[in-house]
Amino acid sequence: MNRSNLYIFTYASVMVIIVAAVLSLAATGLKPFQDKNEEIAKKLDILRSVEKGLDAADADSKNDYVEAEYDKYITESFVVKSNGDLVDGMDAFTIDLKKENAKDVDERTLPVYVCSQENGDKNFIFPVLGGGLWGPIWGYVALDADFISIAGAVFDHKAETPGLGAEINTPPFQDQFKGKKIFDDSGAFTSIMVNKAGIPETIHSVDAISGGTITSKGLEQMLFDCLSVYQTFINAQK
Amino acid sequence: MSLFSSKNMKLLSNPLNDSNPITVQVLGICSALAVTAKVKPAFVMAISVMAVMTLSNVIISLLRKTIPNRIRIIVQLVVIAALVILVDEILRAFVYDVSKQLSVFVGLIITNCIIMGRLEAFAMANKPWDSFLDGVGNSFGYAWILIVVAFFRELLGSGTLWGYPVMEKIGLYNIGYENNGLMILSPAALIVVGIIIWIQRSYNKDLIESK
Amino acid sequence: MENLINIFIRGAFIDNMILAYFLGMCSYLAVSKTVKTSTGLGLAVIFVLVITVPVNYLIENYILTEGALTWISPKFADVDLGFLSFILFIAVIASIVQLTEMIIEKISPTLYNSLGIFLPLIAVNCAILGGALFMQERAYTNIGEAVSFALGSGLGWFLAVVGLAAIREKIRYSNIPAPLRGLGITFIIVGLMGIAFMSFMGIKL
Repeated sequence: MNRSNLYIFTYASVMVIIVAAVLSLAATGLKPFQDKNEEIAKKLDILRSVEKGLDAADADSKNDYVEAEYDKYITESFVVKSNGDLVDGMDAFTIDLKKENAKDVDERTLPVYVCSQENGDKNFIFPVLGGGLWGPIWGYVALDADFISIAGAVFDHKAETPGLGAEINTPPFQDQFKGKKIFDDSGAFTSIMVNKAGIPETIHSVDAISGGTITSKGLEQMLFDCLSVYQTFINAQK
Repeated sequence: MSLFSSKNMKLLSNPLNDSNPITVQVLGICSALAVTAKVKPAFVMAISVMAVMTLSNVIISLLRKTIPNRIRIIVQLVVIAALVILVDEILRAFVYDVSKQLSVFVGLIITNCIIMGRLEAFAMANKPWDSFLDGVGNSFGYAWILIVVAFFRELLGSGTLWGYPVMEKIGLYNIGYENNGLMILSPAALIVVGIIIWIQRSYNKDLIESK
Repeated sequence: MENLINIFIRGAFIDNMILAYFLGMCSYLAVSKTVKTSTGLGLAVIFVLVITVPVNYLIENYILTEGALTWISPKFADVDLGFLSFILFIAVIASIVQLTEMIIEKISPTLYNSLGIFLPLIAVNCAILGGALFMQERAYTNIGEAVSFALGSGLGWFLAVVGLAAIREKIRYSNIPAPLRGLGITFIIVGLMGIAFMSFMGIKL
């Protein structure tokens, strides 16, 4: 049925106002809860990169459990520049990697988390962030005390294809990273390659997800971009 | 007219076969390709589509007399998108783990042309209860194809079902069996759907297209 | 300029919306019966993409992202309207599609009739929203790049749909098992075209 333009215009405006109001109300009203959830998820990701916080799913109160574990193991966190200098007075946890990645390498402020194991070993944990096929992918890479091999890595994504690219957040993919080295014998930075099945695996590479080529390549790029900026800092620790 | 008259039962049963949204109406193919690499995401997608489709069918059916024809597409899409985003926001606040599983599907649900197609073809012209049944029927028709396709793709492509390593347990790898990597890629989904159509039409001769 | 051409070619061939990402399948399969109607739909998709992607680009960069509203007042530096992106993108797309529908109805009633239900469905054509989302994800630096991307991916879609229609017109004379005729064989053909197109993957420009 055709109606007057006035009717159409009023109808559209009323609808837009109602929908915008409901959505904004929901977005602002629920924001505190969502932020809390995201904070917990981030802490849990950091913990999982060093294989802590594994009982989160069974804990009575997941939030309390994650907070307690985080306070127990992640004893330090600090911010460095790409030349290895420490930056004072910044909270590593609140740094927005997306904004840092947009800056020149020299300008970036880079967060580092330190996990203290029961036996006194320390693992340095580095956050990474990049782009997959449909949206951002991110993760945390923990190094062994030798600052060469990877102790553990977790990845997650916003919207990769289910069953394909989305597999990067599953243990079979992430477990491949354990023990891989990001420096070669001469001490040069190699990052970790994500190769298609069929290419022989080396100490510097893992197998890609079959069918998730673009996500896998994005992940490789992300590891190179986000870990290479820590080179100077890591070399100073060795 | 009773709630479950034979006409209404038809609304439920037709989409399963005679007017199946995927194999006959050719709607919702994008999502059928995107989520069928594994059975689990296919199942989750089917449930989400069912919820969104029935709800938006009913809402549009209630509003149908007031919607101006010229902006109907915008109205339909805004209703779908608002619904999906609202659910996503609420899940993200209260059941974060579930929302992480689902947030991937948000964009896919909004652009799923089954929902929009049914709104346009049915809910705009029919009563709320009929539209509700139409929504349920079509989402079942969508769901079974999705799950059948996912079943074959996961079994042949990854050797698992719902993440359970079937092929490994049977011991097929020991006698030289290998997963068919092609099945994981999207073109395989097209070919599997093509074969389903072939089988369906061999039994249901009415659907055979004339030359 | 070289950059713009690269983006254009990438969009049209390497990252082809249909054959590499399988976006926009519903209308692709349903409207590819004859070369004539598919040309019409292909042009409509190019038109809609070329308008919606730059518009959504402006919305994304001047309204939605965090700190995007500073052009109104520096006070809004912390406002992040990202949660509205889906609904705004969709609203823009739907209005443009509605507009296209009205225009086609005026200038070519035959095309309007043959496109039928699939014209409104361009609005939910995943290729169009996909275009907006890819634009957001790949973070093009200026509007020229966004336009060139839209033009490229639209052209890719157009070529793919006309190509399929041509194959379908030819195959009408072949002896296909009756139940497979029409839609069934089309699915399989598109699957094979997709596999062939994978050879483009990995080409870097």
